[in-house]
Amino acid sequence: MVTLAIRVVSYAALAYLLLPLVVLIGASLTATSFLAFPPQGLTLSWYGRMLGDPTYVAAFATSTMLATAATLLAILLAVPAALAIARFAFPGRDTLSAVLMSPLILPHVVLGAALLQYGTAIGLTRSFAALLVGHVVIIMPFVLRAVLPQLTDEQRSLEEASADLGAGPLATFFLVTLPQIRSGIVSGGIFAFISSWINVELSIFNTTAQLTTIPVKLFNYVQYTIDPTIAAVSSITILVAAVVIVVLDLTVGLDVLSERR
Amino acid sequence: MAASLRTVAILTGLPVLFFAAFFLAPMLVVTIASLTDATGAVTWSNYARILLDRYHWDVLWVTFRIGALTTIVSVLIGYPLAWYLVRIVKWAPWRRACVILIVVPLFTSNIVRSFGWMVLLGRNGLVNDGLLAGGLIDRPVRFLGTELGILIGLVYILLPFVVLSVGNGLAKVDPSLEQASADLGATPAATFWTVTFPLSLPGLMAGSIMVFMLAVSAYVTPALLSGGRITVFSMLIFQQYSSVFDFHYGGALGITMLLLTLVLVAVAGRFGEPKGKGA
Repeated sequence: MVTLAIRVVSYAALAYLLLPLVVLIGASLTATSFLAFPPQGLTLSWYGRMLGDPTYVAAFATSTMLATAATLLAILLAVPAALAIARFAFPGRDTLSAVLMSPLILPHVVLGAALLQYGTAIGLTRSFAALLVGHVVIIMPFVLRAVLPQLTDEQRSLEEASADLGAGPLATFFLVTLPQIRSGIVSGGIFAFISSWINVELSIFNTTAQLTTIPVKLFNYVQYTIDPTIAAVSSITILVAAVVIVVLDLTVGLDVLSERR
Repeated sequence: MAASLRTVAILTGLPVLFFAAFFLAPMLVVTIASLTDATGAVTWSNYARILLDRYHWDVLWVTFRIGALTTIVSVLIGYPLAWYLVRIVKWAPWRRACVILIVVPLFTSNIVRSFGWMVLLGRNGLVNDGLLAGGLIDRPVRFLGTELGILIGLVYILLPFVVLSVGNGLAKVDPSLEQASADLGATPAATFWTVTFPLSLPGLMAGSIMVFMLAVSAYVTPALLSGGRITVFSMLIFQQYSSVFDFHYGGALGITMLLLTLVLVAVAGRFGEPKGKGA
């Protein structure tokens, strides 16, 4: 009886999770000039219209470059920090790790506003670099959180063995440590990339009509107009998310709920 | 020790510099701005303006009420779903499909997900059509521009956090404890409330706190689903920075929001601490 009730709630919740995504993908295929679900007639012309609009293409390009650059920078900064935190007892270690993780709990609107105000003072606003530094700050915790648990003590003895056998610190890192934390870097990096790719609250402070990311562009549009082109753009972002997740599942595994963990 | 300190300095130098320059310094600038006026003189007036204005209290009340309701509803839906995935589903491919289904929305922009609900909840949207066809209502219900609409959108956006957090906690509960409880004669309900539920509390608390914080600081979803009729706190901050350009007052609003969330989360964390070392 209870099990039945749980099943019913669960199916309803799964349907609830799926519904808006299905509706957007469906509405993007409608042959009507207004959003219709179920779609009336089927056409890919809204996707064609999106690809024919250079501002959409530019926004997709900006988002992708921004997320790629931010993720690479975040990895380059977070991995050494994780190594220091996991391997050495030094004064201020707990503070360092708390500060590096704190963007996770800071409202993005507040950080976005802070970066705009600070950027105004130092001349770093409404540019790719201004977007980039903010994104690196908010996505670094994802990399750190994924890499830290993988720097286990067993590995440390392997590192010591490597050092005893005469490898330098860099050789030890690339030959011993890196291969073992690679899956953490990959999964943390993917989370970081996606968080950057879909961010609005932070980006919105530093975008302009010429320099805009895809979610900010969508945000500015949907407040005034709703048409099937927007649904087509949205569908593309849903499909990108689905592809990334399937890749993540196949490479490092997404079975986060299994008893084995 | 000296050698390892040098290594630490090499490893942490760049990350520390980066965070000092682009995280701590901006936050410090905002804090200072919030405590000064346009002439640069130190003043509490920005905060006094927030505290003394009835309007802010109303906005805060709406914001925290929406945050609390979002958290409660997300837990009421998310806990059974997590239970279903961890304890009831036996067929691994289906569970995997469900997990993917839960994570896909998480990887999709808030805009896109809120936009989906704008389409669904509109006057002629699928939800109204369905309710009308089912005879549950006789004229379309207004969802957009109401708290109910914002709630539906925010629960949708934040539910995956509860499911993943609770599910992860439940997966770590040792089934042999439940077996032992049953062997000692406890009914399934007694076993659940005295053994399983307390052990799942840390995951539940972590998920709830995350949902609450994200709900009260959310900007995009309320902005899109409120249709301009309801104001939440993050909108006040955004207005000050994007159209009013009063960084002093805007800063005070931002710091107020930050402090309020941190205090509430700390309080919730205290209450949620599991007794003993069960987790």
